Amino acid sequence: MRSSTIRTAPSHFARALQYTSPGLIRCPRPCIVAKWLQSRSLTTATAHEAIPLRKHLKDEAKRKKADAKRDGNTASTKPGGDPRLEKWELTVGIEIHAELNTASKLFSSAPAEVLESDNGGTANSRVAMFDAALPGTQPQFQVATLLPALRAAIAFGCEVQRQSGWDRKHYFHWDQPNGYQITQYYQPFAKDGCLVLDASDGVPALDMQGADRLRIGIKQIQMEQDTAKTTNVGSSTYHVDLNRAGVPLIEIITLPHIHSPQTAAAVVRKIQAVLKSVSSCVIGMELGGLRADVNVSVRERGTSGVGSSYSGVSGLGQRTEIKNLSSFKAVEDAIIAERNRQITVLEAGGVIEGETRGWTLGATETTRLRGKEGEVDYRYMPDADLPPLVIGQDLVEHLTSTLPTLPDELQQELQDEYNDAKTLIDLDSGDRLDFFLRTVHSVTAELGMSSQAQIGKMVGNWVLHELGGLLTTHQRSWDDVRVTADELKNILLCLHRKQITTRVAKQLLADLFQRAPAPAARPSVEQLIETGNLRLRPLSEEEYRDLARRIMEESPEMVKAVREKGQKGKVMWFVGQMVRQGEEGTVEPEKAKAVIESLMGG
Amino acid sequence: MLPRSVPKCASGFTRSLPARVHARPFTTSPPRRDAIERDANGHIDIEKLLSNPSWSVTSLLPSKDHQPPTSGVSSKQLHHLLRLSALPPPKNAAEEAQMLSTLAAQLHFVKEIQKVDTAGMEPLRSLRDETAQGEREAELGMEALKGVLEQEEIRGTHHRRIRRKPGGRDGEECEKWDPLGTAGRRMGRYFVVEGEKAG
Repeated sequence: MRSSTIRTAPSHFARALQYTSPGLIRCPRPCIVAKWLQSRSLTTATAHEAIPLRKHLKDEAKRKKADAKRDGNTASTKPGGDPRLEKWELTVGIEIHAELNTASKLFSSAPAEVLESDNGGTANSRVAMFDAALPGTQPQFQVATLLPALRAAIAFGCEVQRQSGWDRKHYFHWDQPNGYQITQYYQPFAKDGCLVLDASDGVPALDMQGADRLRIGIKQIQMEQDTAKTTNVGSSTYHVDLNRAGVPLIEIITLPHIHSPQTAAAVVRKIQAVLKSVSSCVIGMELGGLRADVNVSVRERGTSGVGSSYSGVSGLGQRTEIKNLSSFKAVEDAIIAERNRQITVLEAGGVIEGETRGWTLGATETTRLRGKEGEVDYRYMPDADLPPLVIGQDLVEHLTSTLPTLPDELQQELQDEYNDAKTLIDLDSGDRLDFFLRTVHSVTAELGMSSQAQIGKMVGNWVLHELGGLLTTHQRSWDDVRVTADELKNILLCLHRKQITTRVAKQLLADLFQRAPAPAARPSVEQLIETGNLRLRPLSEEEYRDLARRIMEESPEMVKAVREKGQKGKVMWFVGQMVRQGEEGTVEPEKAKAVIESLMGG
Repeated sequence: MLPRSVPKCASGFTRSLPARVHARPFTTSPPRRDAIERDANGHIDIEKLLSNPSWSVTSLLPSKDHQPPTSGVSSKQLHHLLRLSALPPPKNAAEEAQMLSTLAAQLHFVKEIQKVDTAGMEPLRSLRDETAQGEREAELGMEALKGVLEQEEIRGTHHRRIRRKPGGRDGEECEKWDPLGTAGRRMGRYFVVEGEKAG
């Protein structure tokens, strides 16, 4: 059991161990450690020492990370090789299409999201007549779709244009019933924003160039319609579902300020995080709510490529476009593959054609989808059925003042105050973080500001590990957590004031977790302590020694192991036995350990 | 561009205003006044005036003996345009020649239209209320979005996030019709389309 779980999920294993009954001591397993080290053809001088398991798992995780980083670097530069990258410079621009979080579609009142009454979503059940392009139907701009779009524009610091237009992009495809997509080609509603990244977002040090922040310019943000969904069944047959046709999208176009594949993936991740935080786009890339197209070009360092330019950035090489990347890893891998292909072509003396390419997961090179001669002529023209979009400045100001905290600001706040809270940010769409903050504030109110960092750490542990563990054990989601911030505060205050032991505190938490939620009668923490007689009644030194001696007499082989074989880790086994055999709420593990060590050490 | 009859209306208008106020003319070039003849009483002979047309739409079309310019539309371009518009290609050479000459006439027409000086003018997209009042009415500000903002709530006390209130719509306002009723081919709840072989 041990070795397999260690190999696959060390962190889960560590957590699972925490919730076994305290009698099961975390014994060090030097045989397993030695086996593992041997299998890695590593031996360390400490192989004979008893390494506590948690430390061991942590070290292994650290080492794995370092290995992966090393291997990752060689993999990415193997075909290219470092010397090639010194000669050639990569430039990437990204276009992201994200589905807006709205109730209705962009130009019809059909629902944009799956209705609660409709489990899983029946195909072709949310189609308005305009979405099916029945002759004579007209688009009707749904005003509610403006809110998430404006929030996205404000979150990226764009200038919202007072007046913007709707244009038709013509092409024939079965996923475009009207024969054209309504987009904002000539006059987008937001322009000139920027995205700020730093090293913690995953930007390699080389790209940061000594600065502590990297600014990627955003050229524009525009609203447009999504297409219908087609699925391929059989060799040439397709099924079309118009539910998605007409759902509002925003397209975010960045300037070609990105110069490495890791930065590109970091940009996409950051954009997704920002959009989620302002609740503009809440479906992530893995569920198909966000798609990226990248434009890749290379040029020799110090030259101006073939002189191409894009929106003010000039001196670039010929770019190719890779469409429909649907995961962060795909973005990174596709850019690496395309960069290598372009460098190979240019070094062999060829020229890059401006074409559209595709990428499939697991491929080694991008595939050509459309050459220059197959370039589609979209014949953009203003849509005569729709009036121009006029956005009021008062609305923009209101949304700016009520914008939720962006990920950068949130990280900053939490870093300054509670270092451990960063792991909580992504859990349960922010509900857990809110619970954490409420608990911390109420505990701090009682205990005072001086120990805020300590309080933060303690509360963070309990919210993340204890409550998290209870949720997994009982297979519940955070919506059903039942323990209130007040109750947790009371438990932690009792613990801090040494009125109960840690073990008892965990039991109280588990008890409260199981009870029916309000408005059913829930006993308070005080009441539970009273009825269960759980208050800490500290034992005297003499009582500790008596208990310790009794246990040592019962298990002489364990005593021998510690004294003679030097397996210091087994001391904790004795501590556990003392806690188990002592009365509930009397034995404190730290004191017990000290007593046992003094008795053993002699 | 408004028709030339409008300046007449404008001049009629100015006659009713005080002499020092003049309405601005709608065209930049002054209207031709030399062709208008008046008799001794100052009346205009309408019939005589209208007997000679001064302009015909045929001036926008190529004349009968007009040679098609050498830089006309090539056959390749014709086929490209037909493909873009999803129109069927010509069945034979005669039909193609017919299409090309029609297209040439149409392009001539467009070039004649393009000779009008439109410097500094925004193209007309559709007939709308483009007055300041109209723009104010079309503006989407706090007033227009009030109902939508009320449908949102703030979740959380310290870490505040925006949520749309759940259960806003049951879909009953969705038009009750069967989208698949228009399907030529269907399979269950899907439209079926034949495409090129995948892969």
